[in-house]
Amino acid sequence: MRKLGHQKHYYLMLLPGMVWLVMFSIVPMFGIAMAFQNYNPGAGLFKSEWVGLDNFKYMFQLNDSKTVILNTFIIAVGKIVFNLLIPLIFAILLNELRSLRYKKLVQTVVYLPHFLSWVIMSTIVIGIFGYYGVVNTVIGMFGVDPKLFMADAGIFRQLLIGTDVWKEFGYNAIIYLAALTGVNPNLYEAAAIDGANRWQLIRRVTLPALTTTVVLLGVLSLGNVLNAGFDQVYNLYNPLVYSTGDILDTWVYRLGLQNLQFSLATAAGLFKSVISFVLIFISYRLAYRYADYTVF
Amino acid sequence: MKRNMAMLLSVVLLGLSLTACTSSKDSSNDLKASPKPDSSSTTPALSGDDLAFSKFPNPVDVHIGMVVDPTDKTLPEGDSVSNNQYTRYLKEKYNINVIVDWTAATGNDFKQKVSLTIASGKLPDGMVVDDRSFMTKAASSGLLYDITDLFQQYQSSQVKDIMASTDGRALENASYKGKMVSLPNITVDTDGVHVLWVRKDWLDKLQLPVPKTTSDIEKTAKAFMDNKLGGDKTIGIAGPSKNSFPYSTFLLSSNNMGGFDPIFGAMDAYPGYWLDNGDGSVSYGTLTDNTKNTLALLADWYKKGLIDPEVGTRDNVGDPINANQAGIFFGPWWNGGYGNGDSFKNDPTANWQAYPVYSDDNKWNAHMKTTGSTYTIISKNAKPDVVKAILIMNNALVRDEATFDLSVAVGWYPLRNVMAAANETEYEYAELLKVLKGETQPEDYNKPNSLYKLMYADAKKVKDVIKAPYDDLNVSNFNTANFGDFQRLYSIMIGDRPFTTIPIDKKVYSVTYNQTPTMETKWANLKKMEDETVLKIILGQAPIDSFDKFVKDWKAQGGDEITKEVAELLKK
Repeated sequence: MRKLGHQKHYYLMLLPGMVWLVMFSIVPMFGIAMAFQNYNPGAGLFKSEWVGLDNFKYMFQLNDSKTVILNTFIIAVGKIVFNLLIPLIFAILLNELRSLRYKKLVQTVVYLPHFLSWVIMSTIVIGIFGYYGVVNTVIGMFGVDPKLFMADAGIFRQLLIGTDVWKEFGYNAIIYLAALTGVNPNLYEAAAIDGANRWQLIRRVTLPALTTTVVLLGVLSLGNVLNAGFDQVYNLYNPLVYSTGDILDTWVYRLGLQNLQFSLATAAGLFKSVISFVLIFISYRLAYRYADYTVF
Repeated sequence: MKRNMAMLLSVVLLGLSLTACTSSKDSSNDLKASPKPDSSSTTPALSGDDLAFSKFPNPVDVHIGMVVDPTDKTLPEGDSVSNNQYTRYLKEKYNINVIVDWTAATGNDFKQKVSLTIASGKLPDGMVVDDRSFMTKAASSGLLYDITDLFQQYQSSQVKDIMASTDGRALENASYKGKMVSLPNITVDTDGVHVLWVRKDWLDKLQLPVPKTTSDIEKTAKAFMDNKLGGDKTIGIAGPSKNSFPYSTFLLSSNNMGGFDPIFGAMDAYPGYWLDNGDGSVSYGTLTDNTKNTLALLADWYKKGLIDPEVGTRDNVGDPINANQAGIFFGPWWNGGYGNGDSFKNDPTANWQAYPVYSDDNKWNAHMKTTGSTYTIISKNAKPDVVKAILIMNNALVRDEATFDLSVAVGWYPLRNVMAAANETEYEYAELLKVLKGETQPEDYNKPNSLYKLMYADAKKVKDVIKAPYDDLNVSNFNTANFGDFQRLYSIMIGDRPFTTIPIDKKVYSVTYNQTPTMETKWANLKKMEDETVLKIILGQAPIDSFDKFVKDWKAQGGDEITKEVAELLKK
């Protein structure tokens, strides 16, 4: 008790966060019940008719559900992989720069898009890839016919992954850059004296120093395997690219908020949550095993 | 890990936030629709229009949810959504206090808010929803007030006439299972009649005749493009954006700016409509061979570059039209004037003219709309006085809209839900022409409580806006000094000219304009399939033969079941 009294102010500081968590995360959990009901807003959560797993059965009968789950998976995995690799390469390249001012400048510039929301970014992306956009103008110079990129289901996923990486790689590189500052300069000096060239320095010193970070980030992002990015997809897609661009979150949004199928939307959301939970659990174990990382 | 937990939780929230405030356990829910005898608001002796415009002895608070246009700048400094000329008018004249519980921006924001409000089961006293499925969802969940009796008592004579002008369709539209649970929106019939809009000045420049049939339109669009009349990026025919549709449907049966409705009509195709086959069976218009042929034609036009290359992915239908890049588009009467104001601002000689599109055997076929598509819904928990207040607010809007100072957008009027006589535009077209020609005087229309509520105001200003000669009106006849007046009168006198002056050879109504029970669960999927197939065929991303597969899938995935339900409706 004396110990608690000593730390009173810490608990006090914790309080608003806990209240927030209870109000917005714990209490709404009861809404999960909707997934097993034929939810009627007038009757409320307690009096709506229970239908067992009907909503889930119906969800998996819909052709959409398979397409949507597959799209979500492909887009999210693509983002995870490239959001690990591109920032890594970028961070190493940046680290090799001699001019400190130029390095800082580049770092700041590539960091900027992170702060723009997808509502704004989508307009920019549509501007670049639009019929009269930069890309079509450039390929037009080589005699290639203009192409409607935003309506091409064949490249929509690549476009999503590419623009997401472009937006976020500056931000994601920060962790690597931070890890790089932690590398003991003596290691570079010693290697240089042993006759290593720059390429060998990167391979033998820089990369090994970053391995733990890469593994950790990779493992932790497993939990995102079903998070393909609602904001981005919602602002960029159209019916022509539903077949490759529609993801679980946009599907739930259309079902629940536009078509008022509250129970079905909840079932889809719950399905996603359960899968994500399992993946987070696995990633946590893996993070512990390979990177010795724990929270609890 | 913490971040991931937060993510997981927010994911859970996404699906479940719908229920965030559903614990409405209050058992006082059994308020019946019948007005409480002790409601001391009005003296029972009043009736008719006296009652319809009566002032409450004590202030009545009306809580509303409201849509606002975030780009609107017409509210004077110091005024707000709950304190402006309209709310003050309601307070002064009827002792109604409007309390705005929440606002949301027009479009998806508002839809989302309404959807969540219904899901939570806690409606404000009144709100105007813009989709029938919101109204039916709320009604089937038992959230709405049965206004059948109160409406009979409190409707003004004007509202009664307007309701009557729809032959009972408006009442049916506003009802759920035989009970009136909302105030319907009643818009002019011409909102659902889509016509060809073409740049007459471009036609004149090339000495081309007005296109009549689809093959004329093809030639005209090609000529516009070959001569680059809209600059390097000339678009022959503008089309739908990523948020609008290639054709209007039974659920959204009007105001489809930029759709291809008249082209489908000219091919005797009515996609998106439930068609009565005449033998007791119904078919869904999208599945017909005529629709398939029209899609093949549109795909051919797209391939030839006549249709906007960015069709289906543009942010906004109006962009190429307002930028004066496009020479042709399709839409209802108000699309020229109200709908494309910037086009005239950018080029005062843009002579947009409206015409029907004819089939090859010289027929004008048009699909017709339902009465209206927005609904004022009233919470079951509203007190009878509040319900009466909302009915009075509606009466007052219908009577006094033309007298308000419209420099403050009328959209700020709380619970504004338009009620206009179904033939208002046609009436105004004919009468305004008489005023212009001196056959009648503006004062002839000074009739309070007239069914045509805007007629008098329009008659007074028509001569300021339109110059002689009156027989063949062009943009050069119009004075744009008061741009709002210009837009309105341009739309009436030019946009509604085809519908007023040329009889439609074949009017097609949908068997139903509402969802059937099975549609509630299966329509979203079928509609998505339809949207995707149609756009892909037009853009040449899928061969026309994919249409047959779509028909098969559509039938198998619930379409047949739904068709049977619609056929049942026909029997009634």
